[in-house]
Amino acid sequence: MGTIPELVPARMVNEFAYCPRLFFLEWVQARWADNRDTVEGRWHHRAVDREGGRVPSPDDDDDIRRARSVLLSSDELGLVARVDVIEGDADGHVIPVDTKRGHPPDTPAGAWEPERVQVCVQGLLLRDAGYRCDQGVLYFAGARRRVVVDFDDELVDRTLGLLQELRAVAATDSAPPPLVDSPKCPRCSLVGICLPDETNMLSARSEARPRRLMPAASAARPLYVTEQGVYVGKKGGRLEVREDGDVVASVRLIDVSQVSVFGNIQVGTQAIRELFAREIPVCWFSYGGWFAGIAEGLPSKHVELRRRQVIVAGQGGLEIARIVVEGKIRNQRTFLRRNSRDRDDRVLDQLRDLASEAGDAVSVPSLLGIEGTAARLYFDHFPRMLRPEATLPGAPFRFDGRNRRPPLDAVNCLLGYCYSLLVKDLTVTALAVGFDPYLGFYHRPRFGRPALALDLAEEFRSLVADSVVLQVINNGEVGESDFVVRAGGVGLTSGGRKAVLAAYERRLDHEIRHPVFGYRITYRRVFEVQARLLAAHLLGEVPEYVTFVTR
Amino acid sequence: MADRTRFLVAYDIRDDGRLRQVAKCVEGYGNRLQYSVFLCDLSAVEMLRLRTELRDVIDHRVDSIAFVELGSPDSRGRHCFDFMGMRPQLPRTGGPTIV
Repeated sequence: MGTIPELVPARMVNEFAYCPRLFFLEWVQARWADNRDTVEGRWHHRAVDREGGRVPSPDDDDDIRRARSVLLSSDELGLVARVDVIEGDADGHVIPVDTKRGHPPDTPAGAWEPERVQVCVQGLLLRDAGYRCDQGVLYFAGARRRVVVDFDDELVDRTLGLLQELRAVAATDSAPPPLVDSPKCPRCSLVGICLPDETNMLSARSEARPRRLMPAASAARPLYVTEQGVYVGKKGGRLEVREDGDVVASVRLIDVSQVSVFGNIQVGTQAIRELFAREIPVCWFSYGGWFAGIAEGLPSKHVELRRRQVIVAGQGGLEIARIVVEGKIRNQRTFLRRNSRDRDDRVLDQLRDLASEAGDAVSVPSLLGIEGTAARLYFDHFPRMLRPEATLPGAPFRFDGRNRRPPLDAVNCLLGYCYSLLVKDLTVTALAVGFDPYLGFYHRPRFGRPALALDLAEEFRSLVADSVVLQVINNGEVGESDFVVRAGGVGLTSGGRKAVLAAYERRLDHEIRHPVFGYRITYRRVFEVQARLLAAHLLGEVPEYVTFVTR
Repeated sequence: MADRTRFLVAYDIRDDGRLRQVAKCVEGYGNRLQYSVFLCDLSAVEMLRLRTELRDVIDHRVDSIAFVELGSPDSRGRHCFDFMGMRPQLPRTGGPTIV
């Protein structure tokens, strides 16, 4: 049990009355997401956010007429609030006015409880400061209507009761459970972080199929820079890629979700700072596609998740490792079944058996053995999925522990490149959710590998990366001229690289039906959902991690 | 995909200093079509942010900014254009940028 900050902002009392979990995520874990309502709310506050008007003390001769943006706090109540507007009359009564977006709801009280409680908190603070205050006003900017809120005993008692509950919840270590099938969730800006319906379903708190509540995915996409010697700079609200002073690409920052640079490319300091401010990570790769590093702004504030991650990893993490490997083998099996030109049912049966063996494995070393056997089977049959007439440079593809650095054939070259991209995206996702990407459950945190990202990547290797390799070869998106062979090693040319990047990004935008939740979702989004489910499992909110397995 | 709408944003600014500020601001949200005419593909939140930024720059008594909604960037927002003379490029929609 930790100590909590002395003063609770009035807005947080509003959030708590709306949903205790929302309050916990926002205030205790300091997590935030904007949606239309929150941005619109700020727009409507523009007039009252600037301090103005005179605020004489209660015992002065002068009275408050109208004051804007007044900061009040009380150690006794343990509250702090910035009151949008205070209006006073000649008798010494004052009224706090709180600006809200939109229209007043059609309820007997004229406003929902959270808003009434919030303005009541402001009233209590004014009373505590010595003013006479029996009423507050909610000003609905959309309708330009004022709703009067009487600070009767019932509302004051309710407010004080909520404050007590709030402090008790803030002192606990884990977030309260999500609301069950609540109409409040769809409009909540944190719904994509909270995953109320998914969490309730997996923890058996609700039998209903999850509603599709994830907020619309951002339209922003990665910026990949592969041309050597260019400079990425910021100009106004844009990123500009310049070559010898000439602008070769200019992208709005609102269109960029991450920046990946390959090889000798400069990224300007101003650009990096702006990217950090917008929570856009920058990933660096070697020219050949080796994922070398990532930079982002300050680390996640979700300390509790990191703490649990360390605890579970310290206990061995076998349970999660089993689920991850089983999911990977099942996906490999499905992928072979769907794409092989001449299907070998014996191999499929073997893979199915290996998957269930993985589910019961007694140790990580035995799991490694099972995974290795499955990989050998799978990659032995991998060429059966390739178009036979596709001519590729280098040695013919053979699976012998998969060769790399340098890859000796074109298929291994493509596989290596796509795995790099996949691990990059899962590292970015793990960081965004609040994990330490280096501390895994199946992969050991050795040799500087982002072990957790590798864990998360397992279930997507065939679904995303292998699928892209198959596609670019079978559709002829890369051919012989897209590779260079040097001293037996096979590499991609600049053109080949771009073709693979385009195919990979296309794959991430591919929509599939979620096997557990039933709604349609892109792979890009699934990465995040899976990482959040793993987080929910570590935090004890859902009993088991569930991998993403297609049929 | 976040739902974006294409807007034509055109402005008349009476002061050179403010004009530069407005241009710089709108450049972050759209592509220049003509000197003071931009095409901006924006979600509701992005539009609100653009308006918030512009609000603090312009002189509301003499400057003027027009926002014209053109529909989806993939349908009406693309087909409603007809050009005479030099044909400018319309903003592309979605997808990664690969340089």
